[in-house]
Amino acid sequence: MSVRKYAREVSNSWNWTTIKLVSALVYLSMFLPLAVVVINSFNPQRIATFPPESLTLYWYYEFFEDDVFLNAVWVSTQVGIAAAILAGAIGTLTAMGFVRKPFPMKKALAIALLTPMIVPPVIVGVASTIFFSEIGWGRSIWWLVVMHTLIALPYAFLIVRSRLYLFDETLEDAAMTLGADRLTTFREVTLPLIAPALITAMVLAFVISFGEFTATQFWVQRETTTVPVVIYSMVRTTITPKVNVLATLVLVVTIVVPIVGLLIQRALHRGR
Amino acid sequence: MSSNTATPTADGHDGTESIKQRLMESERFGYLLSPGTGLLWVLFFLFVPLTIIVAFSFFRAGEFGTIIYEPTLENYRRFAGGTVYQWVIIRSILVGVATTLIVLPFGYALGYFLGRTNSRWTPILLGLVVVQFWVPLVIRTYAWIPILGREGIVNDFLLWIGIVSQPISILYTTHGMILGLAVSIMPFMVLPVYSIVSTIDEEVIQAAKTLGASDARAFWEVTFPLSWPGIVSGILFTFILSAGAYLAPELLGGTGDRLIAPVIETVFTQDFNWPFAATLSIIYVGLIVIALYLFTRRADLEEALEGTQL
Repeated sequence: MSVRKYAREVSNSWNWTTIKLVSALVYLSMFLPLAVVVINSFNPQRIATFPPESLTLYWYYEFFEDDVFLNAVWVSTQVGIAAAILAGAIGTLTAMGFVRKPFPMKKALAIALLTPMIVPPVIVGVASTIFFSEIGWGRSIWWLVVMHTLIALPYAFLIVRSRLYLFDETLEDAAMTLGADRLTTFREVTLPLIAPALITAMVLAFVISFGEFTATQFWVQRETTTVPVVIYSMVRTTITPKVNVLATLVLVVTIVVPIVGLLIQRALHRGR
Repeated sequence: MSSNTATPTADGHDGTESIKQRLMESERFGYLLSPGTGLLWVLFFLFVPLTIIVAFSFFRAGEFGTIIYEPTLENYRRFAGGTVYQWVIIRSILVGVATTLIVLPFGYALGYFLGRTNSRWTPILLGLVVVQFWVPLVIRTYAWIPILGREGIVNDFLLWIGIVSQPISILYTTHGMILGLAVSIMPFMVLPVYSIVSTIDEEVIQAAKTLGASDARAFWEVTFPLSWPGIVSGILFTFILSAGAYLAPELLGGTGDRLIAPVIETVFTQDFNWPFAATLSIIYVGLIVIALYLFTRRADLEEALEGTQL
């Protein structure tokens, strides 16, 4: 029996149909709530009945008048970009060290580097707030940058490291044999080759920073409130439909943009 | 593992090696490319703070949010003597187990589907799972509120098909909370399972069937055991994330559903009792270390963490 024939047979079997149905159910559960948020952002009524009887852009106009929301978007964007740059840079330097240099206790130190992924955010929030107050470092937007970099660092490290494992080091040797120094080699050879991984790592760091809530609520002040914190406090008090507008705009950026990117990438790939 | 081992260190190119060596040693830049930068960041902003809260757990809170810097076991006695806080821990573990039991079959099914389908839409379907990580958790959680409410879609649907005769309470109950939790954590099960299942060679399964195994038997004796590392990674993350959840219990759970993370936050920011919040944090970390220990005896922690990579 050929593999192709076998695959066809499996895809017709009863078990496979069940798996498809369960998968569809999981997709429905993941996207139905988000779809409702998007639709409700066009719902004219304050207390949304679903489905809406008519649609309006009223809340979008209101949203762009609201300084609290716009300020949160601005803060989150700045912090996200700063954390992405820092996590990308530190993650790359660290991954280079881990892949290229021999040193003792590599495995244990790699796990130490990944601990920000496991330590619960609420504890990161509590511990860092006590730490910053003990060293007398006043609350500022830099708390967010420094701590978001910490939280995103393991992901950046893992992504760049996995690219470096596939990297042909003889290319660097060649550049250096031809007279390039370490820095030039890094800039001209290494960096371009790991660029795709580095960009992925930085985009992911931005997304992690932009979406982090539980630890971040410990670090924000009134004027440095981030998008998730403002959404949470609005949902806790009164759900104004402006929250749905903000969520919809975030959804457009976080779902539509990557998928369009994926489609473009596939189209280019096919064209080649 | 490291490509270091594959580089031509021993194949006679001493010239290249010595140039490289010299450059590495003479230039300061070489030292920057070290594990030290990241490790220092983690050391200074995570390990030092964690050490400080260990110390804080042995202090006492004074009035008006002040701290009395005298060693005491009072906080640990308060935890040991107070059933309220013990229940918070037990409830968190139970919610973690319940969520894991829901996420495992559903997440496995989708991960298995994505790993074995030959649909041309696979990249998009996979992308739809990955983007779940990109959408802020607070949005994915609060989005359930209009769905689970008394006049929400779920109740409308149940009334319409006639399972219930009047709206049932789902929002602000434990099962509503666990539903929201399970869906938000689902990608942590789907992706590791997918990445393992997609590497299982079709011919291995076919071999089992050629030898007379039924579909079900081939699955349970070949595919399932081979996908075990992905499952362990998924279970680990599902349990840790659901037991320590903050948003779902606060936004979707009932008043009796307070889990450890929201309780620590309340003790810290509303009661201003930093030492007791530190103590609860230590106990909570202890719980996670035990969970990690139990799981990593069966799987590699580093691999498990890498399994959730996007």
